[in-house]
Amino acid sequence: MSIFREHKTIADRAASDRSRHRQKIEKAIKESIRDVVAEESIIGQSGKKKIRIPVKGIKEHRFVYGDNEKNKRVGSAQGKNVGKGQRIGHRRRRKSQEGDESPGNAPGEEMYEIEMSLEELAGYLFNDLELPELAKKSFKFTTQEKMKRKGKRPYGIRPRLSKKETIKQKIRRKKAAIKAGTYNPEEDGRFTFHESDLRYKHIAPVIKENTAAVVFFVMDVSGSMTKSKKFLARSFFFLLYQFLNHKYSSTDVVFISHTAEAQEVNEEQFFTQVPNGGTLVSTGLKKVEEVIEKRYHPNNWNIYTFYCGDGDNWAIDNKEALAAFRRLKENNQVMCYTEIGQAHHYREYSLFSGHTPEKKLWDWTKLIEDKEFKRIRLEENKDIWSAFKKLFGGRK
Amino acid sequence: MSDWSMTELQDWDDKICTLGEAIGLDWYPIEYEICDYKEMMGHMAYSGLPTHYRHWSYGKSFDRIQTEYNLGMSGLPYEMIINSNPSISYLMTENPMATHILTMAHCVGHSDFFKNNRMFAETGADTVISRFKSAGKRVKKYMGDPNIGIKKVERILDACHAVRFQVPRTPGIKRRNHKELKKYYQKLIINDKTGSWDKFDINKIPLEPDYNLLRFVAENSRYLEDWERDLIRIVEQESLYFVPQAFTKIMNEGWACMIHEKIINALGIPDDYFLSFIRLHNQVIRPHLGRVNPYHLGYKIFKYIEKKQGFDECLRVRKDHNDETFIKTYLDEELCKELNLFSYSFHTKEGYNKITEVSGEDSWRRVRDDLIKNVGLNSVPVVLVKELKKDGTLILKHEHDGRDLELSEANKVFEHINDLWQGGVKFTTIIEEEAWEF
Repeated sequence: MSIFREHKTIADRAASDRSRHRQKIEKAIKESIRDVVAEESIIGQSGKKKIRIPVKGIKEHRFVYGDNEKNKRVGSAQGKNVGKGQRIGHRRRRKSQEGDESPGNAPGEEMYEIEMSLEELAGYLFNDLELPELAKKSFKFTTQEKMKRKGKRPYGIRPRLSKKETIKQKIRRKKAAIKAGTYNPEEDGRFTFHESDLRYKHIAPVIKENTAAVVFFVMDVSGSMTKSKKFLARSFFFLLYQFLNHKYSSTDVVFISHTAEAQEVNEEQFFTQVPNGGTLVSTGLKKVEEVIEKRYHPNNWNIYTFYCGDGDNWAIDNKEALAAFRRLKENNQVMCYTEIGQAHHYREYSLFSGHTPEKKLWDWTKLIEDKEFKRIRLEENKDIWSAFKKLFGGRK
Repeated sequence: MSDWSMTELQDWDDKICTLGEAIGLDWYPIEYEICDYKEMMGHMAYSGLPTHYRHWSYGKSFDRIQTEYNLGMSGLPYEMIINSNPSISYLMTENPMATHILTMAHCVGHSDFFKNNRMFAETGADTVISRFKSAGKRVKKYMGDPNIGIKKVERILDACHAVRFQVPRTPGIKRRNHKELKKYYQKLIINDKTGSWDKFDINKIPLEPDYNLLRFVAENSRYLEDWERDLIRIVEQESLYFVPQAFTKIMNEGWACMIHEKIINALGIPDDYFLSFIRLHNQVIRPHLGRVNPYHLGYKIFKYIEKKQGFDECLRVRKDHNDETFIKTYLDEELCKELNLFSYSFHTKEGYNKITEVSGEDSWRRVRDDLIKNVGLNSVPVVLVKELKKDGTLILKHEHDGRDLELSEANKVFEHINDLWQGGVKFTTIIEEEAWEF
């Protein structure tokens, strides 16, 4: 009585809508750098490594009732004992109070996980960004010969025969023959391969310009650098690393953390180290000099140093730190002093200490600020991208 | 791979149809399309409509369905049926025979409901497929038009989708346009002897609050182009088509579950099929702890009615009621207690959902009323057009029913409306006992 139909389409009806949706997500990825820098250890990973990136879904907005005391809903609990005032479910924070501490943890928020390699990610981030004149000019090149694929050609050795390309040639010829009426697929037999169909992969040597860079990330890990400050630093460092890695064929990273003394650490330690001790910025910078001397000669390496701290240096060290900055500037491509948190207010200090305010490191470093030495202040997450643009965005 | 053939499907279908007729059901002919799981996901993403227009949001739902399916977070539904004449339904190749039998019996229930429930009287089941096809073609045409293009189309559709549920909640009642309304009110004023209409402004627009936001914008906007008005109407028409289904979700599913159970019990199917049937049936109608499973609730109430008043009463109920009246009339103290329904809400300070009421001797009524506030479109805030000022300002009002709007969302939707109207929209609501205006 009912009708049955076997429905066979190969066409995926949702394909175009899905790709359109993906385009929107891609846009969202670009716009949400913060989410990209998830908990995972990504700095210093190889570009091929796949990472999972949580992306907030492209939300479709509706009028909805707020999730609060007045909005009562109903549930069932057959065979269970429930009582008035009983708590159910897990504790959660209200969406609007969520702040920016835990991205995407609000219930009901649509999250996607997108898997991509760091290379692809870097592509997303930096393709729109102008490569600054400054960095371009001062790349140091070494050359290297490399074999690279260079298309197909009609002659070659047997092992390099491209079956796919060859069959394409045959199909092309067949179609043409049918059109010209010289071949009738109904009556004539098999359409055979011809010598001229054969295509071989071509490999040719290319001279590759090899560039190498080393990035020093120096961070103050003293007590005043809180977790959220470090997170900000981490996001910033991640971007820097990815950018340089994108532009250079190989990039080394050196992590140096310092309190009143400095040490070279690995990435994990760098971001998770338990803070203690006071702050002597110069120790960190001296460590950089030491490592450069030992392993990275400025003639062969493009050197970048990024210092990150909250500017709370011991007053006696400021002059020495400044001198160290000056020395480093000489053999660095770009050097950057990043301060996290709000600018210090002189008044507060004078109130408590009772004497005239001292110049802080932020003020001292102003003296040497120029094209190769930048000062950047990060107060909150959204500053990262603009700071980044300030560093590398050319002269816009 | 599969344990069935087309002939077997037809044989079972014949038996199912005979039994359906025997218990007094009257449904549209059903067209089953056999498809694979990938196609099924496609149909789900587009609400089952084979001819639906394109929009990125459907690509999004496809991706979500696929992800959830691949992760094993959710299975695919056994049934998917469209309110159309003939009713189009999908059967998944991968499913075994027992599932198909259940699905077909279930679909008979749905199709019978579509054909008989009064909410669906104006949904135009005979023409819906061609209407959607035509709409899909028009959207495609606009997207391909070099003067319009996909971005401009999306801008309108995005905005329309944001307010797609701001439609009248009275399915089956014909909309009166401005002219008709004006005639109606002029008559009232002329025939009025009490003077109570003296202050009525016959020139205002709209003459009475308009609950059909999209339609109002399409009819009254000063700036929209024809293709834009057409897009708005397409979304509005789709909403009107789907509203009855929202209004009867619990009944419709409960009815279909009751019918498939009835038919299958009478079918005399082999034991191994019967076991898988029981397993599926129990899975579909199981209560969900902490939530309300519409299949479960609807099925329970219908069973309850049958037990107390017989199956003929059930047939009458499936014709005349919607979820709201269904629950109000038939969900009584005994059933509330059996299902152990309770009300809860989120307590912002504590950060927990807390039970605010349980089904007790007197309190069950409050629980029932809370439930009613969440069925049909009752969980969607009502926003109406209050006035169109002479200067072109559009004044919208949220009909506050004790529940406040989520402001961040409302703000985003407001931006969409403002964009659609091209500026000059005012929107009022109440937040924490205070008037709010966007």
